[in-house]
Amino acid sequence: MDKLTPYLPFLIPILIIELALMLTALVHVLRHPHYRFGSKPLWIIVVVVFQIIGPIVYFAFGRGEE
Amino acid sequence: MNAFTAFFKKELSEAAHTHKLTVMGLVFLLFGMMNPLTAKVLPDILAGVMPDGITITLATPTALDSWAQFFKNVPQMGLIVMVLLYGGMLANELSRGTLTQLLTRGLPRKTVVLAKFSAASLVWTAAYALCFFVTYAYTVYFWPEGSTTGLPLAAFSLWVFGLMLLSTLLLGGVLFKNSYGCLLLTGGLVALLSLLNILPAMQAVNPMVLPSNGMALLSGTFPASGFVTPLLVTGAIIMSMLSGTIFLFNRKAL
Amino acid sequence: MMDILCLEHLRKSFGDKAVIHDLSLAVPKGSVYGFLGPNGAGKTTTMKMILGLLKADAGTITVCGEPVRFGETKTNRHIGYLPDVPEFYGYMRAKEYLRLCGEIAGMSVQQISQKSSELLSLVGLSGNNQKIAGYSRGMKQRLGIAQALLNDPKLLICDEPTSALDPVGRKEILEILHRAREKTTVLFSTHILSDAERICDHVAVLNEGRVTLNGTLDELRKQHGQGRLLVEFSSQDDLDRCRQLPELTQSFIGAQIEGYTAILCVPDLPAAETALLSVLVRESILPNRLENQEPTLESLFMEAIR
Repeated sequence: MDKLTPYLPFLIPILIIELALMLTALVHVLRHPHYRFGSKPLWIIVVVVFQIIGPIVYFAFGRGEE
Repeated sequence: MNAFTAFFKKELSEAAHTHKLTVMGLVFLLFGMMNPLTAKVLPDILAGVMPDGITITLATPTALDSWAQFFKNVPQMGLIVMVLLYGGMLANELSRGTLTQLLTRGLPRKTVVLAKFSAASLVWTAAYALCFFVTYAYTVYFWPEGSTTGLPLAAFSLWVFGLMLLSTLLLGGVLFKNSYGCLLLTGGLVALLSLLNILPAMQAVNPMVLPSNGMALLSGTFPASGFVTPLLVTGAIIMSMLSGTIFLFNRKAL
Repeated sequence: MMDILCLEHLRKSFGDKAVIHDLSLAVPKGSVYGFLGPNGAGKTTTMKMILGLLKADAGTITVCGEPVRFGETKTNRHIGYLPDVPEFYGYMRAKEYLRLCGEIAGMSVQQISQKSSELLSLVGLSGNNQKIAGYSRGMKQRLGIAQALLNDPKLLICDEPTSALDPVGRKEILEILHRAREKTTVLFSTHILSDAERICDHVAVLNEGRVTLNGTLDELRKQHGQGRLLVEFSSQDDLDRCRQLPELTQSFIGAQIEGYTAILCVPDLPAAETALLSVLVRESILPNRLENQEPTLESLFMEAIR
């Protein structure tokens, strides 16, 4: 792991973006409880566990009509 | 204000409200950062996970490795994300009927298609440019001495290919009325073009050259002149997709 | 009086199924025109053809003297349209939606803001700052009317504006339409007859793609359906005596009798009423109730779709 230390200034922004993506999706899942399919617990798991892919899949397929 | 501007503005504000803008921006920013970093760190990681005693020799990464990541990730992941997010841009409005009131208010159908294409293209362009310049900045930082000839052409070609996918999504929207149909049409088109690419005769004109041969151009194994015909063909496809969409939409009963 | 909308020999079929057969109709300026018919009679199809959303197989449609062409929205500048279930962009607010509509119609910023606040107060949404996603159906219907009236249309077309609403919502929509008539001609479809009776002056009944009844409500009442006279006697004895009187035997043919009450069907209501009253006075028969029953829209409607 020591070898990664010099790259930390570059890795941290990546982690922050992943987190931002996850939080955007998570907040949306919690605040709009209508989904095209699936349930709230399912989407929470998908969004939190599958980094990057989870939020994209949620916004592309899971988000219900407003 | 004319109808085009009004509807174009509505499209952009919709992209912001439905988080399309956020997701596109964040994902492409992420790719932009990961491309050079993966190229830089990958050999170290591989060396780290190897059991003690075994040594592998890996070439020291260069600027080209960073761009190799770019020309691998953007076509494979970036374009898919864009297609997924924009799959329903016309289909959903038609199936829900949100356009009815606007069309009966005097909004020409042609304007709907063109404004949607322009707005989606703008978002794609902005996200792609963000990804490109972040990769570019990191690459220059990590490998200041690295040289990359042909980069503008390779990057431009990939961008044009993205526009073609957007125009296909619109045609799918007017044909199928649901986003899955659009995704199938677009996926089908890409699959067909990839199949055609097996035939050597087709490679001279095939739009698939645009997303797949960028790296070959950079490494000097594919000539820049080989991009000219595929670019023209792709331009023609975009034009015919858009005119086809407008033609069919004008004749569609709502 | 000028006709604002004119349909001539309109035909439309979907596949093999003919939905509209030779429909002709004229909507006079300033009227509130009720377009009645059972579900599936072709009301929505006709309205969509007027708006150029559907292509007519044959026939002509003229709005304010201009022909309607499918897919072209030129004549729609005269029209405001409210679909049966108006759909909106859920993330917008009422004002933002009206602004979008106004911009599309080419209105100036000043016009838009003035018209929007005027219409939002007409439909009772002026203080509302909610996103449309949270609207009830009645609120969406009201916003739909505001949207339809935005460009001061000469003709307001509403497709089943009240059908999906509860009684309170229906009453509100009808009141709004009633107020709208001061500025525009209203054409609205419905299968709820009491709604039509409340605000329409003209009606057309559509059944299986044909107009089977058409005219002003007053005319129709006069022309169609016989006059009915209800007499409630105080005893069976009075009723029987009356039936046997020679002057009245004719009237009692075909009368509906229930208990002490008789409903007489007569061709000439005033004459029959005079005759009946004079006979009753002469015979000193005092009825509990004597009622002159006009034909209801329902009876006309049932007759028209038979």
